[in-house]
Amino acid sequence: MHRVGYILLYICLGVVGVFQIFPIIWLVSFSLKTNQEIFAGNPFALPTDPKWENYLKVFEGGIGTYFWNSIWITVVATILTILIASMATFAITRMKWKLSSFVLGIIMIGLMIPIHSALIPLYNMFLNVNLIDNPVSIVVTYMTYNLPITVMILLGFYTTLPREIEEAAIIDGSSIHRLFFKIILPLSAPIMSTTVIINMIYNWNEFVFVNTFISSDKFKTLTVGIQNFIGQYMTDWGAIGATLVISVLPIIIAFIFFSDKIMEGLSASAVKG
Amino acid sequence: MKMKKAFTVLTFVLICCLLMVACSGEEDENSASGDSKTVKFMHLWPEGSSAQHYKVVNQIIEDFETENEGIDIELEVLSNEQYKEKIKVQSTSNELPDVGMTWAAGYMEPFVDGNMFASLDDILEEDNLSEEFVAGTTDAFSIDDTAYGLPLELNISSIYYNKAIFDEYGLEEPTTLDEFNQVVDTLNENDVIPVALGNRDAWTGSMWYMYLANRLGGDEDVLTSAIDRSGSFEDPALLKAAEHLQGLVNDNSFVSGFNGLADQEAKSMFMESQAAMYLIATWDLPNYTTNEDVPQEFRDSVGYFPFPQVDGSGDFNSYVGGPGVGLFVSENSEVKEEAKTFVSYFVKEWGERAVTEVGIIPATKIDGEALDLPELYVEVLDDLNNASNITLYADVQMSASAAQVHLDMIQALFGGEITPEEFVKTHEETLANEE
Amino acid sequence: MDKVMSNKWIITLYILPALLFIAVLIVIPLLLSGYFGLMDWDGIGAMQFIGLDNYITAMQDSKFWESTLHSFLLAIFSALSLLLYLVVALILASKIKGANFLKKIYLIPMLLSSVAIAQLWIKVYNPSNGMLNSILTSLGVENPPAWLADPNIVLYAIFIPIIWQYAGFYILIYYAALKNIPESIIEAAKIDGASPIQIAIRIKFPLIMTVFKVTIVLAIVGSLKYFDLIYVMTGGGPNGASEVMASYMYKLAFSSYDFGYGSAIGFLLLIITLIVTFIIRKATETKDTIQY
Repeated sequence: MHRVGYILLYICLGVVGVFQIFPIIWLVSFSLKTNQEIFAGNPFALPTDPKWENYLKVFEGGIGTYFWNSIWITVVATILTILIASMATFAITRMKWKLSSFVLGIIMIGLMIPIHSALIPLYNMFLNVNLIDNPVSIVVTYMTYNLPITVMILLGFYTTLPREIEEAAIIDGSSIHRLFFKIILPLSAPIMSTTVIINMIYNWNEFVFVNTFISSDKFKTLTVGIQNFIGQYMTDWGAIGATLVISVLPIIIAFIFFSDKIMEGLSASAVKG
Repeated sequence: MKMKKAFTVLTFVLICCLLMVACSGEEDENSASGDSKTVKFMHLWPEGSSAQHYKVVNQIIEDFETENEGIDIELEVLSNEQYKEKIKVQSTSNELPDVGMTWAAGYMEPFVDGNMFASLDDILEEDNLSEEFVAGTTDAFSIDDTAYGLPLELNISSIYYNKAIFDEYGLEEPTTLDEFNQVVDTLNENDVIPVALGNRDAWTGSMWYMYLANRLGGDEDVLTSAIDRSGSFEDPALLKAAEHLQGLVNDNSFVSGFNGLADQEAKSMFMESQAAMYLIATWDLPNYTTNEDVPQEFRDSVGYFPFPQVDGSGDFNSYVGGPGVGLFVSENSEVKEEAKTFVSYFVKEWGERAVTEVGIIPATKIDGEALDLPELYVEVLDDLNNASNITLYADVQMSASAAQVHLDMIQALFGGEITPEEFVKTHEETLANEE
Repeated sequence: MDKVMSNKWIITLYILPALLFIAVLIVIPLLLSGYFGLMDWDGIGAMQFIGLDNYITAMQDSKFWESTLHSFLLAIFSALSLLLYLVVALILASKIKGANFLKKIYLIPMLLSSVAIAQLWIKVYNPSNGMLNSILTSLGVENPPAWLADPNIVLYAIFIPIIWQYAGFYILIYYAALKNIPESIIEAAKIDGASPIQIAIRIKFPLIMTVFKVTIVLAIVGSLKYFDLIYVMTGGGPNGASEVMASYMYKLAFSSYDFGYGSAIGFLLLIITLIVTFIIRKATETKDTIQY
C-alpha cells in the first residue's frame, strides 16, 4: 500500500518535472531546426540535420560584450539588493519603532507599480543627473525595483525568528551590528539564497529599462542585444532560437550548479563569522 | 570576518560606479568642445533581421565620414517595437536623437505639433533634391506644406502567390473577386491554406479591407476622404467592403486562427509553401528575389497579381501602399546643420543603393532599365510607374488613437464579433470626434 | 533589551538606504505619473491641465473595466494555484529522494525570459501545426480551437503559461520555509501518531502561514499588474479579449499617444492594487503571530 502510494507520488512529481523541463529541450531542438522543419514538420520531432551554424551566426554578431554586461550588472545589482533589503527587513521586523509598518507600506507600494508608469519619469530623472546611457542607472534601478519583492520574501522568514535570539545576544553584550551581521544574516542563509536566485533571474532577463536608458552598444545587455535577431522583414527562426538558448544558458548553469554553492557559501560564512 | 570583507568589496564597487559616472560625464564635455561634431543617428534595421539594410547604412555612414571630416555619426540600432518605445520616451524629455526614423502622416503629426522635428524644406530646395523624389512621396511627410521628413522607401501592396501550388491545381491569377473565391474553393478542397494572414498585427488585415474599399470605390478614394473628413465613413462602398471582407472570412479564405497569428508567422507559412497566397507590400521583395537565405526554388516560384476587381468595379493601377519610413532631424539638435547635411547625403546615396544592394524600392526615382534587376522587381517597378493612385495605409493616415480603434475594429470585423454596420459606425464616430 | 532594539540611530542606518532608493526611484515617479494623469498630454510638447477628466473618462470606459475584470480573473487564478504549489512543496519537503533536484527542475520556466516563453507557447497554441492541436487532432478531435484567436478562450489560454511560469518560484519559497521548521516539532507529532497528511495540515501549514500570506499578496499584486507574456503573445487582442490593466495602459500611453490618459490608468491600477492588498491583509490578519 505504502509503496504504491510512493510510486504514484513519484510519477506525479515526474510528470510535473517533464512539463517544467520541456521548454529547455524544446528551445534547444528549435534552435537547431530549419524554418522548413519549424513550420512544416512535426512540432515534437528532433531536428534531422542539426544546424549548428545558427549558433555561429549569433556569435558573429558580437554577443560577447552584451554577455559580460549582463553578468556584472546582474551580480552587482543582486548583491546590493540583498544587503539593503536584509538590513531594511531587520529594522522593520526586529527593531521597535512606531513607523515600521508605515515604512513597510511604502516599500510594498514598489510591488504595485507597473514599470511602464515609472519609465518616463525615471528617464527624465536620470537625464537630469546625466546618467542616461550609463550603466549606473541600470544597476540602481534594478536594485531598487527588486527591493520590495526581496523584502517581502525575507519578511516571512524574519518574523518567525524567535525573540530569544536577540535577547541572548544582547545580554551577551553584543552590538546590533554584530547581532545582524553575525547572527541574523547567517541564520537567514536559506531564504537569502532563494532571494539571490530570484534577483538573478529578474536582473538577467530585464529588458525595458536597459532598452530605454542605454544607447551605446558597449553598455547593452544580452536581452537587448538579442532583439537584433527579431525584426520585421526576414525571420530566421532558428537563429532566434539559438540566441534565446545562448541568453538562458548562463542563468541555467548558474542556477543548477551554483545554487547549492551559494547556499553553502552563505551558511559557511555564517559559521565562520 | 567574511561579512566585513564583503562589505569592503561592496563599498569599493560603489566607489568605482561613482567614478565611472564622473568619467563618463567628462567624456561628454570633451566631445562637445572638441573639433569634431557628433551626430546621433538611430535606425530600426538591425543586423540580425535586416542584414542588407544594416550593411548599406553602415557603408553610407562610412563614406559620409570620409567625405565630411569633422562629423562623426554615432549609431544606435533597435528593432521596430523597441525603436517606437524608445522614441516615445525620449520625446517626453525632449531628447530625440539628432537624426532618426519616422513614419508618415498620422504618426509624425504629434511630433511636428510639439515642435520636435526640424523643417527640411531647405535641404529639399538645395541641389534640387526635391526633384529626385517620386512625385507625392514627400507629401506624406509634409504638414502644412512643410517637409519634416524625407522618405526612404516606397511600397505598394500586391497579392504574392506560389506558382508551384497554382500550377499543381491548374489555377490562374484571379482578376475578379469571384474568380478569387473559386481559387480559394479549389485550394480548400485540396487542403491547401489559401491565404496566409497574421492578423494579430491588424495592419495586415487592414490592407485587405483597404483594397476592397479601394476597388468598390472606383475612381474615388473613398477611404482617404473618409479619414480626412471630406467624406464619411458611412459611404456605401466602405460598408460594402466590410461585408465582402466577412464574406472572404466565411469562405475560409484565410488560415485558421489568423487573429492569433503574428505577421511573421503568417509570412513563414507562405514562405514554407504551406499557404498559397500572401498580401504584402514591396518591402518584402528581397525575400522573393535577392535574399540568399531563402531557397532559390521558392524564390523562383513566387509571382504576384494586383488585387482583383470587386463587383465589376476597380482600377488595377490603383494601389494600397505609400512611403514607409523616412528620416527626421531633431529640432533641438545641437548639430542641426551637420544632421541635415547627413540626411541629404543619406537620402541620395540610399536611393542608389537601395535597389541594387538592399532590394527594396526607394522613394527616390530610379532608372530601372539601366540596372540589372530580377524580373519580379522590374515588373513591380513598371506597375509603380503606371500607378494611377496610391492610397496611404489607413493606420498611417489616422492619428495614433484613431489608428488603434481602426486596428481593433479590423480584428473584430475579421473575427465576426461585429457587423459591417457597427464597423463603419464606430469608425465614423471616432473620426468625427477628432475633428 | 528594548532600549537597544529601539535605538533611533541604528534604525535609521538600517532602513535609510532602502527607503531612500525607493522614495527617489519608485515613489517620486509614481507621484509624477499621478500628476501626468491630470493632464491632457500626448507625451510630446506642452501639456494641459484638465483636472480629473481622465479619471472620469476611465470610469466610463468599458475597455478599462473589461481589462480590470481580466486582471482580477488572473489574480484569482494565480491565488488558487498557490494551493497546488503548496501541495507540491509539502511533498518535496517531506524527505523525498531527489527533492533538491526536482525543485530545481520546477524552477526552470522561471529562468527563461518572457521572449523565450512566449515563443514556446505560441508554438504550443499554433492553430494548424501547434503542439496542442496536433495532439488533439491525433486524439480524434475535429476542429480543435484556435486558442489565441478565439475571444472566448484566449484569456484562459494565456493564463496557463503565466501560472506555469511562476510555479517554481512559489514552490521554492514554500520549500525554503518548510525546511526551516524545526525537526523536533515534526518528530513530536509523529510520536503522537499523526499521519503525514495531518502533520501537513495541522502543523506545517500553520507554521508557514506568514510566508503563505506573503505569497498571496505577491501573487495577487503580481497578477494585477501583469504585462509581459500578454504583450508578447497577443498584444491584448483580438480586439481587447485578452487585455489586462497594464497592457491597456501601455497601449494608451505608447501606441495611442494618449500619455495623460495612460498615466491615469496606471495610477488607477496602483490604487486598485493598494485597496486589494489592504483587504487581503485585513482578511488574513491574526492576533497571535505564530512563533516556534
